[in-house]
Amino acid sequence: MATKEELQHRLDQISELFASIVTHADHQSSWRCPYKNRFDQCTAQFGCRNKRKPKVQGELPICVGDDKLDYRPAWE
Amino acid sequence: MAEITEIAHEFIRQEIEEFVERPDERQRTINTFAKARPEMQAIAAALIEGENDTVDQLTRQALDSGIEALEVMDYGLIAGMGIVGIKFRQNFIFVPEVLACARAMKAGMAHIEPILSAAGVEPIGTVIMGTVKGDLHDIGKNLCIMMLRGAGFVVHDLGVDTSADKFIEAVEETKAPLLGMSALLTTTMPNMGKTIEAFIDADLRDEVKIMVGGAPVTQDFADDMGADGYGKDALACVALAKNLLGVVARS
Repeated sequence: MATKEELQHRLDQISELFASIVTHADHQSSWRCPYKNRFDQCTAQFGCRNKRKPKVQGELPICVGDDKLDYRPAWE
Repeated sequence: MAEITEIAHEFIRQEIEEFVERPDERQRTINTFAKARPEMQAIAAALIEGENDTVDQLTRQALDSGIEALEVMDYGLIAGMGIVGIKFRQNFIFVPEVLACARAMKAGMAHIEPILSAAGVEPIGTVIMGTVKGDLHDIGKNLCIMMLRGAGFVVHDLGVDTSADKFIEAVEETKAPLLGMSALLTTTMPNMGKTIEAFIDADLRDEVKIMVGGAPVTQDFADDMGADGYGKDALACVALAKNLLGVVARS
């Protein structure tokens, strides 16, 4: 049976993992829209000027933002 | 020192070969997974793929079969999330993928929670989270939720476009002592203030601490609208939530 301390240590590890993830998310969001997935699809529920219809129906919209400019003005 | 060939799960081997580049990290990851039994490798693989139903099912099966919670965490959930963190840090995956993996982790952790409680590790507190009415931006809120859950909070996510009535209903139902509101647009930001007013009108303002955040929100704006706290990002959100719950406990 695991002790309270052993379990708490694992929770602390998870917390540390997530903290490093959000720190990187903050940095990554300065050069890439955080709603854009690895397939350059848009996961946002709101309108954006960079959204284009997907090639296959049912798939997520395609993001055509080039990430060179601040993406935020494109959000509607 | 273990060899990658000692890892049974092909997907895990491929992930390490393709994405874990730093030699020390690579060896540490290989050592971990070489010791992990196949059931744990399968949990880690499903988590890396963001398959929450599979993580849910495999974690339950593992615990039911008598595998210790610590082993499930060490060699399944945490080991899998470790690879996710590395892939994210190296920009192989992005925020939407990470959030999917975090949801998968939550599905697995749901089965660990009763074990935590039995051992005396209780949740820090309950938080209601939502993006305000008229606003559909949810990445910041979702990162806060990921952090809060990781830190041991129970979080009820009301999603986006949340009306004041929905926030009130959730606080009444769950008796949560803490509420977090997010807004990304300057046009929706005033809805935070309107929601706080709705809590005053419903005579519930003293029952709940309210924290706010989002790109256009500032400490001054939070103070003006009568929020109890402002968090500039997901890390600050956790510190603020702990602080505010401490205040609740003292009062």
